Amino acid sequence: MIKEEIKRALQNANLAGALTRFSEAYSVSRRKAYEGLDFEEIRDKIASLKAYVAENLNEIIDTFIKSAQENGAKVFYTTKPDEVRKYIIDLAKKNNVKSIVKSKSMATEEIHLNKYLREEGIEVNETDLGEWIIQLAGQRPSHMVLPAIHLTRYDVSEVFTKKVEPIEPDISKMVKFARKHLRRKFLAADMGITGANIAVAETGTLLIFTNEGNARLTMALPKIHVAVVGVEKLVAKFEDIFPIIRALPRSATAQLITSYISFVNKPYTHFDGSQKEFHIILFDNNRSAMAKDPNFKQTFQCIRCASCLNVCPVFRLIGGHVFGKVYTGGIGTILTAWTEGLKASKDIQGLCIQCGNCVKVCPGKIDIPGLILEIRKRLAKEEGLNFKTKVIYSIVNNRKLFHSILKAASKFQKPIEKEGFIRHLPFFLSDLTEGRSLPAISDVPFRDRFKKIIQPKFDKKVIFFAGCLIDFAYPEIGEALVKLLNSAGIEVLFPIEQTCCGAPARYSGVMDVAANNAKQNIEALLTTEADYVISACPTCTVALKKQFTKDLLEQNFNEELIKKAEVLAKKVKDASELINKLIREDKIKFKSTPQESFTYHDPCHLIRSLGIYKEPRESLISAGLNLVEMFESDTCCGMGGSYSLKFPEISKTILKRKLENIKKTEVKLVCTDCPGCVMQIRGGVDKEGLSLQVRHSIEILAERLKKG
Amino acid sequence: MFELFKQKAEAINAEVHYFNSKAEAIDFIKDLIAKNTQGTSTKEVVWHESPFLDGVDKDSLLKEVPQIEFNIDQNSASSAKIGINEVDYGIAETGSIVEISDSIFKRLCSILPEIHIAILPLNRIEPTLEEVMKKIPISKIPYMTIISGPSRTADIERVLTIGVHGPERLLILVVDNL
Ligand code: SF4
Ligand code: SF4
Repeated sequence: MIKEEIKRALQNANLAGALTRFSEAYSVSRRKAYEGLDFEEIRDKIASLKAYVAENLNEIIDTFIKSAQENGAKVFYTTKPDEVRKYIIDLAKKNNVKSIVKSKSMATEEIHLNKYLREEGIEVNETDLGEWIIQLAGQRPSHMVLPAIHLTRYDVSEVFTKKVEPIEPDISKMVKFARKHLRRKFLAADMGITGANIAVAETGTLLIFTNEGNARLTMALPKIHVAVVGVEKLVAKFEDIFPIIRALPRSATAQLITSYISFVNKPYTHFDGSQKEFHIILFDNNRSAMAKDPNFKQTFQCIRCASCLNVCPVFRLIGGHVFGKVYTGGIGTILTAWTEGLKASKDIQGLCIQCGNCVKVCPGKIDIPGLILEIRKRLAKEEGLNFKTKVIYSIVNNRKLFHSILKAASKFQKPIEKEGFIRHLPFFLSDLTEGRSLPAISDVPFRDRFKKIIQPKFDKKVIFFAGCLIDFAYPEIGEALVKLLNSAGIEVLFPIEQTCCGAPARYSGVMDVAANNAKQNIEALLTTEADYVISACPTCTVALKKQFTKDLLEQNFNEELIKKAEVLAKKVKDASELINKLIREDKIKFKSTPQESFTYHDPCHLIRSLGIYKEPRESLISAGLNLVEMFESDTCCGMGGSYSLKFPEISKTILKRKLENIKKTEVKLVCTDCPGCVMQIRGGVDKEGLSLQVRHSIEILAERLKKG
Repeated sequence: MFELFKQKAEAINAEVHYFNSKAEAIDFIKDLIAKNTQGTSTKEVVWHESPFLDGVDKDSLLKEVPQIEFNIDQNSASSAKIGINEVDYGIAETGSIVEISDSIFKRLCSILPEIHIAILPLNRIEPTLEEVMKKIPISKIPYMTIISGPSRTADIERVLTIGVHGPERLLILVVDNL
């Protein structure tokens, strides 16, 4: 089902066009909005003050209830969605409420409140312009901040004309139209329902941010105000509001501040002379369970700014109707897994390509891809794996068998080699069984080629971890690296027992297989002494450096092995970093060659997990090349290992955008530092028949080495 | 600080005017009312009383500008085109004004009409939100709004449009020597 939805979304030019234009403009304007502020400092503050809430949730809930009651609000705390609905319906009936106006509230969408109210014969009108359009159109929001971003002015005029009265597709006229029609609703309403962006326990204050001013009318005009507030909106102290006020408008819409921030404390005398009724419904719906979970308590750090959606290369192609439920995108996937249950997130969690783009902008410092991976793990555990997948993984865990299959595959792939690319090696096995495109596996893998390279004896030694792609598909990258290292007076060692780093299993949530890969590699790589263990595939580097220890801990391996994993992690370096160091130390020298221009693609794992992006550029420039930066150089190329097999259409569309950006630089050479990215981009270049070279930086550097 | 306030407020589409005295500000208001109302027969202006009006002869003001209504209720506020109130603080870093409302009527002046005129004493401008909040006993006030520019939306095709549910013009009259 999801495949069809993806197809439809990708074909919807309006949607992808609007989202992509927005996403591109957003990155620029967001950066501008934060100018002069220290984003890292602000988000550190937000993350820690909200983490404090998760740690002390019950206490903070109690404090809030007490303060708000002292202010004169009626507070109702509940864990259950149906109790929220019942409370509001009972209140409405008691007060003979015929019509309700609402300002945007995700919590009420989460419990589908409008539907239940209508069933009771109560008229409900959303008043945020986007939400009103969506309500009239009978749809659900496609974005947490911009609910109607998938609709054009023509769509909106059609909806208005059909559901209200005729209006031409002129934006400013339609905005006036909304003002006129909704003003009547505001004046007639008996109850106003809002959400809240922040709830301060210390003072019982609610803060509500809007640009349109609809929340102000919703609160001021009807006699009853009900605020439905998820407990994740709580902060402990009043001073905690400041970093959130700084970040929320900047991250959400790249504004320095929203037009209105309302602080609601106490009920006051209504304009008819009666006492205003002010109710706060504190809503849990499994959030306190989230707060207790060692991984997912992080979600309390979310301030619902949606910047994670705006920078997501997948979201901007398919939007929130496909990538999400009530809550959309990466964070939406995580919230769905908790508010609607793990199973509800099953289809959408796979859509995250794990590029990490969202992590760098999240003002709550949430590891969104990490949490999605955690969902993947829990799903894999809960649902088990199908037989085929199990067979594949048992092969991956048996190095000898796995490698002999790979070698055998190189023999019969010949005829259609050009067509096929190995997306992520172990998955090529599943491909093979389905008779789909065959990968271009090298005739002689690196492990066999290495035996023939005579290694000079030097004091300085490094162990090379090749990883499947370099070993079996691009051994020439390995050879180039050996050449560079040797020229710098370093001997290269290649322990033959090394095997797949476990990434395919890890990113599919199959943790026992990943941990077994970790174990085999640790044992293989620690047999010989060396200064460093280096890899020229950032995904492998991250696995060796950051994942092995985690995986083993999680799978309860013994302490001794975990210690070894830590020893290994300390020795691991990405080739791009070590080579740069050697160039700076003048140990690697280049011959003079004619100036050539190149553009650089930042591999997701290299720039975001390892923080390396200056080094490879600098190395290439010192080898005499001229850098022309492409737009969005650090946006994913769409490879994502097995992702490109699971969602080929999305992968291809992301790749297309990458190629567009490359073409615009007008250079003939693209360098990058990941064999996976090389495979993906080269595949695209081949398909489009472009005259462009796509090379691993290491190869380019080796070609330019000074002889002797 | 006034300069920064003005620059930031204008950047978010507010109109900022400086006056040396109360009298100058009142002249400006009279002129603005004359330009933005249909005639003198209807009450198109609601004005929430505040210390700014101390010492002002309201009767003669009403004679001169009969469009003004000092008795605010839902009807007068929702049919008025212009709402005038005195706000409590200005925030220079964002060009925002802070409206503390212990009375709903003060608030209605900035919520319902198309034009909001906010009178802000010059000495009430503070550099940052934090500074302003130090002066406000938050637990004692019922309701407060930080207002930054007019009401706006970008909900249709992300095109910025000014004036949705709230005012489409915000005029901040910064008055010295009050
Ligand atoms: S996860 Fe982070 S970026 Fe996404 S909505 Fe929450 S705070 Fe914003
Ligand atoms: S990691 Fe990448 S694909 Fe996944 S949610 Fe974040 S931005 Fe989107």
